[in-house]
Amino acid sequence: MKISPAHIIRLYDRFEFLDKEGSGQLRLEDFAEVKELAMNPIGDRIIGAFFSPGQETVDFPSFVRILAHFRPTDKNRAKDSTQPEPVNSRTSKLKFAFQLYDQDRDGKISRAELLQVLREMLGMQVTEEQLESIADRAIQEADLDRDDAISFEEFRKSLEKVNIEHKMSIRFLR
Amino acid sequence: MAELLGSSSVRSGRASFCLRVVGFVLLLVFAAAASASRDISNGTSKEPNPAREEDPHHRSNTTHHKKAFPVLSFNYEHVRTPFEISLWILLALLMKLGFHIIPRLSHVVPESCLLIFVGLLVGGIIKAIGEKPPILDSTLFFLYLLPPIILDAGYFLPIRPFTENLGTILVFAVVGTLWNAFFIGGMMYAVCQIEGTGLGGVDLLSCLLFGAIISAVDPVAVLAMFEEIHINELLHILVFGESLLNDAVTVVLYHLFEEFAHIGTVTVADAFLGVVCFFVVSLGGILVGAIYGILGAFTSRFTSHTRVIEPLFVFLYSYMAYLSAEVFHLSGIMSLIACGVMMRPYVEANISHKSYTTIKYFLKMWSSVSETLIFIFLGVSTVAGPHSWNWTFVVLTVILCFVSRMLGVVGLTYIINKFRIVKLTKKEQFIVAYGGLRGAIAFSLGFLLTNDKMKDMFLTAIITVIFFTVFVQGMTIKPLVDLLAVKKKKESKRSINEEIHTQFLDHLLTGIEDVCGHYGHHHWKDKLNRFNKAYVKKWLIAGERSTEPQLISFYNKLEMKQAIMLVESGSAAKLPSTLSSVSMQNIQPRAQPRGRIIPRISKGREEEIRKLLRANLQKTRQRLRSYSRHDLMIDPFEDNMSEVRFRKQRVEMERRMSHYLTVPANRQEAPPVRKVYLADDGDSRAVSGRRATQPNLSSPDAVSLLDESSQRANQRSPDPPRRGPELQESQEEQDQLKLSRCLSDPGPNKDGDEDKNKGFIP
Repeated sequence: MKISPAHIIRLYDRFEFLDKEGSGQLRLEDFAEVKELAMNPIGDRIIGAFFSPGQETVDFPSFVRILAHFRPTDKNRAKDSTQPEPVNSRTSKLKFAFQLYDQDRDGKISRAELLQVLREMLGMQVTEEQLESIADRAIQEADLDRDDAISFEEFRKSLEKVNIEHKMSIRFLR
Repeated sequence: MAELLGSSSVRSGRASFCLRVVGFVLLLVFAAAASASRDISNGTSKEPNPAREEDPHHRSNTTHHKKAFPVLSFNYEHVRTPFEISLWILLALLMKLGFHIIPRLSHVVPESCLLIFVGLLVGGIIKAIGEKPPILDSTLFFLYLLPPIILDAGYFLPIRPFTENLGTILVFAVVGTLWNAFFIGGMMYAVCQIEGTGLGGVDLLSCLLFGAIISAVDPVAVLAMFEEIHINELLHILVFGESLLNDAVTVVLYHLFEEFAHIGTVTVADAFLGVVCFFVVSLGGILVGAIYGILGAFTSRFTSHTRVIEPLFVFLYSYMAYLSAEVFHLSGIMSLIACGVMMRPYVEANISHKSYTTIKYFLKMWSSVSETLIFIFLGVSTVAGPHSWNWTFVVLTVILCFVSRMLGVVGLTYIINKFRIVKLTKKEQFIVAYGGLRGAIAFSLGFLLTNDKMKDMFLTAIITVIFFTVFVQGMTIKPLVDLLAVKKKKESKRSINEEIHTQFLDHLLTGIEDVCGHYGHHHWKDKLNRFNKAYVKKWLIAGERSTEPQLISFYNKLEMKQAIMLVESGSAAKLPSTLSSVSMQNIQPRAQPRGRIIPRISKGREEEIRKLLRANLQKTRQRLRSYSRHDLMIDPFEDNMSEVRFRKQRVEMERRMSHYLTVPANRQEAPPVRKVYLADDGDSRAVSGRRATQPNLSSPDAVSLLDESSQRANQRSPDPPRRGPELQESQEEQDQLKLSRCLSDPGPNKDGDEDKNKGFIP
């Protein structure tokens, strides 16, 4: 199921709207213009996800590529092992989310990274001890190979009951 | 040889027990029958009775001939009504009990079928005696039997799947029911027009009225059935949500057609008014419910001093919502649901743990009793009611119901799937269609009809449909679910990981939607959450809890449950200090009441935690696994599987504890024994000084040691602002405390230690 031209046009309109300078590329400041993102606790991470490591700008194909993660999953896709995993499959979606946690890209969510996320989400309302207890408990629950960090497989396992196909899909991008 | 004898004696023992139970129950049945009959026969003789009552008194005063003082007298009239009601309820519950003693039966036959069967039996017995059996009176049903079930369903409605699938549910409820009603009514009318069926007298409006009554999926029957098959959450919420929300449609259609059945014609204006009425009924019902819900939440904010009556507020406000909606002919069911949903998050933040448990248990209890009574009365009414059997009509009704449901679901799903993110598969569609049971609501609505001629025929048809759906569909759905390999419900607790990641994903999706400029589901949910946090919570939640983030309350609950679970699994002997894994760091000896910086649990909750742990330490109770129907929600108490997990966690905790003790006391890693922190290194938090003196509730023995040392530590540790050297001293105290705690052997508490407990607990 390919993405339709109408959607691409819509996304391009949005891209142009965000690109205030008309340079054909989006920069950090353009993203920061979106007011609601500023209020979002993990807004910075989301913005960061659009930029490939080392890049300072986002062009339209990259923009679409990132957003394509959030297309609804095509359940009837034949499990063809020769084709690469589509960007909007459950695994790919989970991988995208995982990378948002794992900022240093070492393939594991360390305790410090988890603490960082918790700090961003819960902010000033809780004490450091509470955050640490929660992080500890989370790692204790999810960490099966006892390396005190959450690998992608453990991450996936802890979310096996959650309907990711539903949760991480936006109707807009069908 | 001995084993054979043993087993046969066990079996015969069980059989004789069963016989005894059955015998006792039959005795009760006769008593109920006798009292019911007396009900009728005493109707006329009630007059002379009081007169006769008066006479002996007069006579004894005026004494022509002195009567002996009656040592023992029989006065049944006095207690007749409550006696009979209690007898019926007792009978119903004993029946329920009986089913679960007989092992094989409850697996094959769903409970609702068994109960109807019992009702038939009882009705038959009563009729055989020659008396008129009691019928399921509509007032009784709508005002007393239905509300508890709906409240139970609404209060514990899983909000997230409900709102995620709200569109689908609404389409099924509104459009589906309308389709059913008109299709059945129309087809019935068409058939009635055919010569030779003897149904010529049934006009269009009556047919449509009948269609309206029989079209609605019944929440009671659906609940009863789906509870037993443990189907996955999506299907459950679809069918169940539909059965709840179609009440508005049913109410409107019923009143509409009933009004016009008398007049005989319907104009376009009337149809338009009907549509308007639908919106008024449903939205009005929701509004009424929401108002009462907010009132209830607001009231619960102030109940911190009168904890005992907290549950009553929940029940009464909800019941008032229902009744108020019924006053205006609005949808009572929707009002009740709205009230429960609205009230719940705020009430749960405000009330004590005990009240929460009370509410949970009472609702389950009442709804269980109601449901049992409803099914039994259905059976009794079947035997009792005047019947007018018309083969064509009845058979046609059954077939049409089934067919229209199938067609409706398939057709609507085809349209709905265009809008859904996760589409409904054919298997799921089939289950949704097959799960459309009819039940007592249809019967009661039919009973309210006034037209005698066709009422009997309608009632017969309704009862037949109910029987068909409950018996045939109810019994076969379980094997079908297994056959079709439909996904079952995954029985497990929500882990902290899930909670964290789900929230994370919520934020992520909201952010992505903002980047796309698309104001979708997440965007509005986020806005609602913000509004809730900024304004509503301040008003409706008492004290400090109003600023507590959801993740924290979830985490606290988890920790508390885990601690209690640990205690109950008999771990007290091995791990003296791991009980502090409950976030009890704010529990302090009464001698030093101090202000808290960021309170975590309110005082009332602390009390409860303390009492709970104390009670549990004194005896190890055998936790029975509760049976399926009305099993309280995923509750770690009842989950024996987690025993294994807790053993594992216990080992984990032991490991951490030993690590904790051997590491110098300055800066601790956060172990599960984490709440009993020593002072932070030079953190300017005043709490640290206080926290260093945490007494541990692990055991009474350790407690007495703790008492003295904690007193000393308290004296030494200063007012919060002063730190430095005093902290060091208290740290040493802490080391000593820790060591003494671990070395003492708590063991299970014998009776001699009462005073120690009393000394400790403030």
